[in-house]
Amino acid sequence: MNRSRHFRETLVNGGLNLILVIALIIVLFPYFWIFLTSLKPVDLVARPEVWIFSPSLFNWRDVLLNSDVPRYLLNSVIVALSTVGVALVVAAPAAYSFSRFNTGGGATRFSILAAEMLPPAVLIVPLFLLMFRLALLNTHLAIIAAHLTFVTPVITWFLIGFFDEVPKDLEEQAMVDGYTRFQAFYKVVLPSVRPGLAAAAIFGFVLSWNDMFYALILSGGDSKTLPVAIAGYWTFRGIEMGKMAVAILVAIVPVLLASFFIQKYLVKGLGGGAVKY
Amino acid sequence: MITQRSFFPFSKRMIVPLALTLLVVLIYPLVFSFWVSLHEYSLTALEDVRFIGLQNYIGLRHNPSFWNALRNTVVFVFGAVFLETVLGFGLALLLHRPTLRFRNFFRSILLTPMFITPIAVGLMFRFLLNQQLGVLPYLLDQIGIQVDWFGPQLALFSIILIDVWQWTPFMLLLFLAGLESLPASPFEAARVDGASWFFTLRKVTLPLMKPVILVALIIRGLDAFKVFEYIYAITRGGPGDSTETILYYIYKVAFRFFRMGEAAAMAYVLIALTLFLVFILYRIMSADEGA
Repeated sequence: MNRSRHFRETLVNGGLNLILVIALIIVLFPYFWIFLTSLKPVDLVARPEVWIFSPSLFNWRDVLLNSDVPRYLLNSVIVALSTVGVALVVAAPAAYSFSRFNTGGGATRFSILAAEMLPPAVLIVPLFLLMFRLALLNTHLAIIAAHLTFVTPVITWFLIGFFDEVPKDLEEQAMVDGYTRFQAFYKVVLPSVRPGLAAAAIFGFVLSWNDMFYALILSGGDSKTLPVAIAGYWTFRGIEMGKMAVAILVAIVPVLLASFFIQKYLVKGLGGGAVKY
Repeated sequence: MITQRSFFPFSKRMIVPLALTLLVVLIYPLVFSFWVSLHEYSLTALEDVRFIGLQNYIGLRHNPSFWNALRNTVVFVFGAVFLETVLGFGLALLLHRPTLRFRNFFRSILLTPMFITPIAVGLMFRFLLNQQLGVLPYLLDQIGIQVDWFGPQLALFSIILIDVWQWTPFMLLLFLAGLESLPASPFEAARVDGASWFFTLRKVTLPLMKPVILVALIIRGLDAFKVFEYIYAITRGGPGDSTETILYYIYKVAFRFFRMGEAAAMAYVLIALTLFLVFILYRIMSADEGA
């Protein structure tokens, strides 16, 4: 009796684990196939029945050494770093103020959330026209401005959740010790949320890095970012697909690595202090 | 210190940089965009910008493409978010089992799709599902199944499945965190009473998870409205206009037809819709917090 129940539980558990393994395969297979394709010699790229072949680095060499992809990669890095830098500097004091003093009350939090959720369609027309007038189209500055529209609110929202957890005694003690309010914030509170700042920075970087919509319209030629360049592999001639696979991997591998570091902070950040788990 | 507090307190000074930044990159463009929406504003005739009042808005009522795009978007949002919620919840329950080994490994891998750029996801699946070149049609063909993934019948559904691949992890992330923070005592009480697994799920887990589910639903729902990259990468709105979503249509009107005024007006209709949804989200959140 006891043994048969034990047996049944093992069976059910095994079945449930099997579902997880299937989910794992569904997630991993596209990565695997793109990686496989990137290693295929040109004549095999268009043949889905070929799984075993002698790998060739032709596509990798071609994309990394003989194409403009490295330049687009650099553009993406410049845009994402600049965006995150500006966003952190303006968002951190504000998020602290929202968290500690509830500045502006619920209306402020509502506005931050609304800005975060704003459809990009709303901003692309005016941003395009303004950049056109200012002769800033096809510059990094245009894309950075566009990315600030969503990265800044996200990082602000993200940091509120982390500042909420800083005990008030910490800064009060600092002020007793002779710090001004701002010094208490800058020298005591900020260092105590360092993991949150790092997670917010990485998350903001990923958001900017991943954007294609704004970059597609505001950049062109030499100022293209990587996602826009990838979209350029839209033609499905055989020779392009191996290169497309490489370009895709170049765009997603750094982000996949970063994701492992920020996963555990994401929930607190996304909740923005509004969701208490 | 005292005068500063009464006149321009520290708490307000701290938000000045954020306020200025958002004023320049967000508020000013929004106001300018509203101005554009009241004009006949074409990129091909910039010297001839004319004020036409609400004509751009009124014209939308008789624009079948706009309504088609809106309908496609609503179908997409509801289909995708529904599947993502169900699958995300199921996976969260599976990962939450105490007997599971390698939980962190499973979770880390299963969450990865939500971090990669959607254009790459679109192109990967365009390649994977392509009739001649794709590995999935090839494998299905081996067992005698033929599916035209991007034909007129299935294209929108296929786009939904791609969204499910990328964004179910987001639901999983929130649900798993929710499950992990639930109090233990109601579950012990249910076990002592001999409640079945299904009964516990329905009467204990789901009611306790309601706030998390609501928040996840609305955040993901609003985000799904922005679908663009899969359409751009794969179908460009086709076949016909069966996968033309609202963001793609606005993009087309603005940057293919250069009708900026009309595009700005459509965007403002979308804003109204979004703000309404965010407002509901905020009310739900603050109601839960106050309780």
